[in-house]
Amino acid sequence: MQETAAPEHAEPILRLRGIGRRFGGLNAVSDVDLDVAHGERRAILGPNGAGKTTLFNVISGDFPPSSGTVEFLGQDVTLTAPRTRAKLGMGRTYQKSRLFLGLTVENNLYLAVLGVKTGHMRPLRLNGRDGELREQARDLAESVGLGGREQTLVGSLSHGEQRQLEVGMARAGSPKLMMLDEPASGLSRAERVALTDLLLDLDPSITLILIEHDMDVALRVAQRVTMMHDGRKIIEGSPDEIRANQVVHDLYLGRGHQPDA
Amino acid sequence: MSWRVTPDRVVGVGALGVAVLAPLLFSTYWVSTLLTETLFLGIVAASLVFLSAYGGMVSLAQVALYGITGFVLGNVVTNGNTKGLNLGWNPWLGVGLGIAIATTVALLLGALSSRSTGIYFLMITLTYGVIANLFFGQVTDFSGFGGISGIDAPAGIGPVTGHPNRLYYVALGVSVAVYALLRYIVRTPFGLALQGVRDDPVRMSSLGYNVMLHRTLAFGFAGFIASLGGVLFVWWNGHIDPASIDLGATIDVLIIAVIGGLTRVEGAWLGAFLYVLMLNYLPSITFLGSIGITQDRFHTLIGIVFLVIILVSPNGLIGLWERTLKLVGSSRFGRPAVEAPGGGTDV
Repeated sequence: MQETAAPEHAEPILRLRGIGRRFGGLNAVSDVDLDVAHGERRAILGPNGAGKTTLFNVISGDFPPSSGTVEFLGQDVTLTAPRTRAKLGMGRTYQKSRLFLGLTVENNLYLAVLGVKTGHMRPLRLNGRDGELREQARDLAESVGLGGREQTLVGSLSHGEQRQLEVGMARAGSPKLMMLDEPASGLSRAERVALTDLLLDLDPSITLILIEHDMDVALRVAQRVTMMHDGRKIIEGSPDEIRANQVVHDLYLGRGHQPDA
Repeated sequence: MSWRVTPDRVVGVGALGVAVLAPLLFSTYWVSTLLTETLFLGIVAASLVFLSAYGGMVSLAQVALYGITGFVLGNVVTNGNTKGLNLGWNPWLGVGLGIAIATTVALLLGALSSRSTGIYFLMITLTYGVIANLFFGQVTDFSGFGGISGIDAPAGIGPVTGHPNRLYYVALGVSVAVYALLRYIVRTPFGLALQGVRDDPVRMSSLGYNVMLHRTLAFGFAGFIASLGGVLFVWWNGHIDPASIDLGATIDVLIIAVIGGLTRVEGAWLGAFLYVLMLNYLPSITFLGSIGITQDRFHTLIGIVFLVIILVSPNGLIGLWERTLKLVGSSRFGRPAVEAPGGGTDV
């Protein structure tokens, strides 16, 4: 790997070529190429139904693409199982929280920490090893603002707290690539600010791909933005370029809207 | 972990105490029939409750697995006077083989159904039950519809008719061990991950877990637990035939688990106790006979009791107990933790 080289010259951490995904007669994603560099912050924008989440599912392996290839860390992972990709260093969140509602905050994070390690099937409690994992779980809880709530059942957390926990879960495996699917959805303004700060504070070596409808969050966090529409990638550029782009305004705000000077 | 006195623990320890002293307190009929049957049915139901509560898998194959153990044991230990292979081997070898074969079959069947959840999982495991029933009915080398008779417990435990208390204590010991094992396992990495699979298999997979392998191993483990119940059953009954594992028996264990409560393992023995009581005492209520509910219609009564319990408390008797605790304002005790098995049932 060439992680030591400057990101713009290095081999990309993630490379998609010609990705397509059909659901029956619907082309949810068509012919998408995407290169994401090590340590980059990338936002994927687009209206509902643009294929953003489908693209995520193909990257994480939740389902295979109908066409095209996915390369992660220089390795073809197109047909690799999601659990193997997790071990290679991918972590993700889901648009609708997918947490273990019947377990406590600490146990959710514990499972997330254990996921990329060995010993999933261990039918024994080992104080030393489990204590270590639990300590990491508690540190994560602290780091996403859930300190003191470790023993709360996740099913009884507020929506905002569940979104915070989602981020903690994605970080738990110390992923090299972290994919967040609309982390700010349904959050209050204050919670969105807190979340943005949390994302800006992430270790800069972690590569981040973010799907987000909230432009404030997306454009503050991202270094580069990919715009999707009807399953296709239409524009890619810096946040400033995206802000100034007429097509983006047409798609998000409706034709006829004039960008403010 | 601090050992506070909670209502659960008081009842649990009390019930365990009564269970230990049962031969002094109750008639031989109660101990050798009602309580022993409660204990082994409770073990089988506990394997179902474990899968359901911690793995989200409601299995109808537990009776088949318990039956496989019983048939293997019968084939291996009997000696010439009954159906089956009549191998006449050491009784403990029979126990080992019965448990090993049932657990292996459970692992294979678990792998086969590990992609399915919900109603599909239920239907697949129902199929396993039906296949096991027909297999032992039709493959006369192993059994045939008449079944295998004269299966004795090994020396030291049997003969059961002469020493009913011995089998009772063995069943109690196994029940307590199974209960403790289940309580322990759900807090290990394996058990916690199983609960993650129950709550969200997709997330578990994206966190790096092998969901299907996890389900398979859990099913195999539950098969192992059910097979312990199967050993006790044939020792107690001395006989096993395909009717012991037919659809009726399969549904009865599901009913036991639901009456007791599918959310907590203790419920299995509680449900089994109520079921065994009904089985033994409902037919002797003459009033029921006079209104046309004879012994043949026993399942009508069970059905009515079942309906009333789940209408009043969807989580069964355990749910009723938890709600009662809340009503009397004991919620400060937090989540109930320990209730002895075998236990909960004998009060």
